[in-house]
Amino acid sequence: MSLTIALVAILLVAAAAGFFAYRKVKGLRRSGERLNSLPIYHAVHVLLWAAAPALLFLAVWSPVQNMLVEQAVLATPAGRALPDFEMQRDSILEEARDIALGAREAGFNPESTTLAPIYKSEMSRFALAGGLVSILISLVAALFALRRLGVQFRARTAVERWLTVLLVGASLIAILTTLGIVLSLLFESMRFFSMVNAGEFLFGTTWSPQTAIRADQAGSSGAFGSVPLFWGTVFIGAIIAMIVAVPLGLMCAIFLTQYAPRKLRAWLKPILEILAGVPTVVYGYFAALTVAPIVRDFGLAIGVSSASSESALAAGLVMGIMIIPFVSSMADDSIAAVPQAMRDGSLALGATQSETIKKVILPAALPGVVGGVLLAVSRAIGETMIVVMAAGLAANLTLNPFESVTTVTTQIVQLLTGDQEFDSAKTLAAFALGLALFVITLILNLIALRVVRKYQEAYE
Amino acid sequence: MSSAPHSMSGGQASSALVQSRWTDGSMDALVRKRYASERRFRALGFAAVALSVAFLAFLLATMVAKGASGLTMGFLTGSDSTDPAMAGVWGALKGSFLTIIVTMAIALPVGVLSALYLEEFAPRNRWTDLIEVSINNLAAVPSIIFGLLGLAVFLNFMHLPRSAPLVGGLTLALMTMPVIVIAGRNAVKAVPPSIRDAALGVGASKMQVVFHHVLPLALPGILTGTIIGMARALGETAPLLMIGMRAFIASPPQGITDPSSVLPVQIFLWSDEVDRAFVEKTSAAIIVLLVFMLLMNGLAIYLRNRFERRW
Amino acid sequence: MTKEKQSIVPNPVTSTAVAAEAAADQRDTMGGESPIEVRSVDLSQDALEDQTAASSTDDERTTKMRARDVHVFYGSNEAIKGVDVDIHDDKVTAFIGPSGCGKSTFLRCLNRMNDTIAGARVTGSISLDGQDVYASDMDVVQLRARVGMVFQKPNPFPKSIYENVAYGPRIHGLANGKSELDSIVEGSLKRAGLWDEVKDRLDESGTALSGGQQQRLCIARAIAVDPEVILMDEPCSALDPIATAKIEELIHELRGRYAIAIVTHNMQQAARVSQRTAFFHLGEMVEYGRTKDIFTNPRQQRTQDYITGRYG
Repeated sequence: MSLTIALVAILLVAAAAGFFAYRKVKGLRRSGERLNSLPIYHAVHVLLWAAAPALLFLAVWSPVQNMLVEQAVLATPAGRALPDFEMQRDSILEEARDIALGAREAGFNPESTTLAPIYKSEMSRFALAGGLVSILISLVAALFALRRLGVQFRARTAVERWLTVLLVGASLIAILTTLGIVLSLLFESMRFFSMVNAGEFLFGTTWSPQTAIRADQAGSSGAFGSVPLFWGTVFIGAIIAMIVAVPLGLMCAIFLTQYAPRKLRAWLKPILEILAGVPTVVYGYFAALTVAPIVRDFGLAIGVSSASSESALAAGLVMGIMIIPFVSSMADDSIAAVPQAMRDGSLALGATQSETIKKVILPAALPGVVGGVLLAVSRAIGETMIVVMAAGLAANLTLNPFESVTTVTTQIVQLLTGDQEFDSAKTLAAFALGLALFVITLILNLIALRVVRKYQEAYE
Repeated sequence: MSSAPHSMSGGQASSALVQSRWTDGSMDALVRKRYASERRFRALGFAAVALSVAFLAFLLATMVAKGASGLTMGFLTGSDSTDPAMAGVWGALKGSFLTIIVTMAIALPVGVLSALYLEEFAPRNRWTDLIEVSINNLAAVPSIIFGLLGLAVFLNFMHLPRSAPLVGGLTLALMTMPVIVIAGRNAVKAVPPSIRDAALGVGASKMQVVFHHVLPLALPGILTGTIIGMARALGETAPLLMIGMRAFIASPPQGITDPSSVLPVQIFLWSDEVDRAFVEKTSAAIIVLLVFMLLMNGLAIYLRNRFERRW
Repeated sequence: MTKEKQSIVPNPVTSTAVAAEAAADQRDTMGGESPIEVRSVDLSQDALEDQTAASSTDDERTTKMRARDVHVFYGSNEAIKGVDVDIHDDKVTAFIGPSGCGKSTFLRCLNRMNDTIAGARVTGSISLDGQDVYASDMDVVQLRARVGMVFQKPNPFPKSIYENVAYGPRIHGLANGKSELDSIVEGSLKRAGLWDEVKDRLDESGTALSGGQQQRLCIARAIAVDPEVILMDEPCSALDPIATAKIEELIHELRGRYAIAIVTHNMQQAARVSQRTAFFHLGEMVEYGRTKDIFTNPRQQRTQDYITGRYG
């Protein structure tokens, strides 16, 4: 039997047990006894006990089963005859599995067709074992739970304990995700650094990620110096984009909070939110389609002969505009947090509104604004689609904004697109880049948080 | 300090202008300059806003101009094709739909339950602090990192089918969950303590207070946050590229385990095409995507205004 | 010894008012002493002058600001309903009345701070030295420099003490060079009675001072732009009694140099500090006159009721 049948069986057992419990407890109540908890809680309690352990078992069994099946297949004569080369053997096994599952007709390797029926029989064997065990667990658990039923039984408390477990579990998923990110990035990066020197990666200035597809291939030297990538990221995201976004975003926030009449503000704020909601792929396409040619023509017109149609300037410009709403909304919050009394005090001395803003309000709001800018930089650095579509692939250490540069995120996409030999240094480099990106954005976010907390004036 | 403006004993008519620097006109030139500076500053602020709005208008106008002609029925119901005349977005739309369902099915319960736990039940200790910090950090992690996570865990470790809405949905769920948690926490925080006290007062258990009273009242805020999170997930491209959604898919997916594409990825793939005829298709697809985004954001704003209670 | 007409209902406020005013007059001519100590009254020339029925021409001559039939509307809500009051350049004018009756609103009209509130509308005439304050050619920036304001809760800028005081002169361009600015700052702080306490720490943040010191800093800040009138909106309500006493003493010292209008919900303070009092009630100005008269012999029943504590 397949595991799906086991799943259905367990759910049926649980439902039946729950229904049975409900009737029993209602009967108790009808006979005049006073219950501690409502019948529904008893029913749910039984149902959970019948379903949860068994389902848990199934969830653990699935991956374990795959491993066991594979081992069993390899132990058979046909399995032992497979080539030793790990990558080849794994792909044959994968094809055999696919054929056994009915997902494909035949594979590239003839061995997989012969292996397939063996695979299939092993799979059914283990699935049967696992399924039977899980149903057994379900029945035993249901009986155990039913025995506990009674007038005194605190079913509601029991159910609420289940709920607490559920709540805690849901919250732990957040930690699990962070852990998952860190561990998977670390793990793959470690494998990368076993192939490529960490120093070369961090400080090298040549990026040319070629590696051998097969061990015997010639011409497989690769350079993995990531400095040009980080420079491109910083150039586009932290410099050009910020030159656009910070003044515009700040002035937008100032206009909206200090000068705009209420009705205008009510219209403008949603429009800025729309700007933030446009998907980055749209920005990227617009950058490549419309902005980049304009920038290139402009560059050529002012005499920059190396002006490319994949210029850093085009990508940076569009990215800056995308980030304006972030800067604006955070500046808005900081400015609004400055008490009205400050503003009144300045105006009462005979200052104009702009003088009040420039000399009293902005200095007071500065920590929040700086924090907002740091968060915006973090966002810009991690941005992918705009640079993939509008910036180039050539690792280039240049100060010329009309030239083409590449970024960390572009390269991650580039390395993982195309032929995937998952163990090669080329694909693992993507994870190393990802790790570096994760660490940098994490640090930026933490600094932003500290800056705001440390320097923010405490207004009562 | 300069100027001795007035003396106590008489000698001045009361309505006569006191002679001080403020009334003798000596400050006038300076004040005029300050007013001019004020006008310039205000104009600068307005220009910033106008520029941003103008860019948005320019972008929208360009997309509409290039793509409006491509919005035919055939476009909306056809699947991808190598022939630009035949290419349509139906496959990508269906893929997006399935992916979002998976995302919602995972992110919404996990996010809401996490928010409830963190706000109502969690004791203040190092573990819960860690959870909070994790969630806040996750909300700021670049989306491509989630793609790498999905690749490493869902594809390579768990061997789930690549390019399927199941995997895409799982990856996006991990990305959207922190957003829902944060929105949920704010919504729960806004429910006044008096409601909780009243429910406890009639003998409800803590769990019952939370699920029967707090959660329903926080629901509008949670819903708004969820819709905004979903809108973001709908527009995401990079993580889905990582989990393999970059191949040419000729037929729409039948289930969540079939290889499929999503709308933003389809846009990306078409944008790479050399054939200029695809420009119209890409722009038309962008219009479709933007319409969805607008609808969802508009719905969120409408819900927020309609159901938000001022306590 | 002057005998005061016995008021109908003797109460501590009026006795305080009488004694304090006499003491204040005496102090003016004999050099400062604490206003809390009430000395036996010893008439001086000035005190006599003040106690005789004020000649209306004298009053005319020293009128600095004049308000006639002022109404203030917030949207459709009429907050101030026809107020006539004078502010003299050699006297302290107090606005008293229960909470929410419009005293602060009216005060804010005098330096056009109500302009910053959307939907506020002011009718009637308010003039400074005969010039209409709300005229279209009246420069608000210069007006606010001439008519300074001190707020209820001290609101020093989050800058250093020096920068707080120097802010006004800087933006108005009152000083040519650092040494002139230094002398303005020093002079203002001295006039506000704060110099000795902060002269060694001018670089410290203004918000690090105590409440009373912060308020004196705000007064110094207002003085630094060379005003003619100082408006004070309940300046002591957030301060402890000792700080309050210091501020009241400061007001005595500043009187004569600047025309002072003070809003206070503390009747005793009004009695201690002012020579003219206006009683506000529900947006109307019920009575305006010499402080002594208001507290010992009010003409309106409402004033009487308020003074005697019938309502708060």
